[in-house]
Amino acid sequence: MKFDDKIPIYYQIKNYIYGQIITGKLAPGEKIPAVRQLAVDLTVNVNTVQRALGELISEGILESRRGLGNFVTEDQATIEEVKHKLIMQQLHEMYENLHDLNVTDDEIVAYLRQYIKDRRTTKDGQYN
Amino acid sequence: MANTIEIENLTYHKNYRRILENINLQIEQGKTVGLLGENGAGKTTLMRLIAGVAKGAHGTVKIDGEDQVAAKKAEVSFSGQLDGFNPSMRIDKIIRFYEDVYSDFSTERYNQIAGFLQIDEGLRLSALSKGMKEKLVIGLTLSRDTKVYLLDEPFGGIDSMSRKKIIQSIIKWKASDAVIVVSDHYVSEIASILDEVVIIKDKTIYTKKSAEEIRAQYAEGIEQYYESIYEGNDMDD
Repeated sequence: MKFDDKIPIYYQIKNYIYGQIITGKLAPGEKIPAVRQLAVDLTVNVNTVQRALGELISEGILESRRGLGNFVTEDQATIEEVKHKLIMQQLHEMYENLHDLNVTDDEIVAYLRQYIKDRRTTKDGQYN
Repeated sequence: MANTIEIENLTYHKNYRRILENINLQIEQGKTVGLLGENGAGKTTLMRLIAGVAKGAHGTVKIDGEDQVAAKKAEVSFSGQLDGFNPSMRIDKIIRFYEDVYSDFSTERYNQIAGFLQIDEGLRLSALSKGMKEKLVIGLTLSRDTKVYLLDEPFGGIDSMSRKKIIQSIIKWKASDAVIVVSDHYVSEIASILDEVVIIKDKTIYTKKSAEEIRAQYAEGIEQYYESIYEGNDMDD
């Protein structure tokens, strides 16, 4: 994957792993690759991967099993919680950006409805 | 954490010209460090001083607490640009030379890296493309078992696939407690593997910062941060 050099990389790795878990690419209970393998795959520093995994472990989304490696939590509630958090993050960002353009709350809802409607009718999913 | 490299008040003159002045630098065990600075800033000279190859400097350079030249040579792996070898020498001969000279050289590790980077050992040094020569330098440098590895501009003029392979081999074969210093004058290609960034400007260390801190604190890339320093926009406190 490609990283944005303006944002701390450990944070982007966390988001990448959240995404993998929420979309089911990493299943509950699945073992995630070893730290060094992840570092090679993502072309990032081993220490940075370690920091990201450390935080994911303390958040409970990953579980570290001694001598065995790191596993995705099997607790659905935790996964749902992360999904909710990520959705809120995206909405928050969109909301703030639209507010900066002086779009009102009602307009945001109307625009979003229209946008989704248009998306459904365009074949390629491109909206311009 | 313990400092693997400790440099104090290091000054280096050559032919009455000041090359480096009053360098103070500590690098902790296990770090991957980008040594950045424009051409002629003194990056190679600093590497040569750390490796104990350049002589006649004032000040101290300690590797793992030792400041004797022999100790430095034993604990620092630095291949430069293989300038000391006859251009007509075949690659396999150079590898035999490394095996003979460095007791910590692991042929097994070299073969792994050479396999990964697809180094062709039948060729002569002079016949190597720029990318292949850099791959060989990486293979030879990383195959020693030392505390410090110095890579002097390993990405100069090479294609993006070779670059990616070289970066991957650095991540793959770096021992977790070893220090790697990579110099470059163009940063974005290595930014993602760096723990720390050391910038040389005006013959001395301008700053040393954590790469993640630069991203978090300035919300800008390592490349922009580095350029802003060279353009004189002092964003430091």
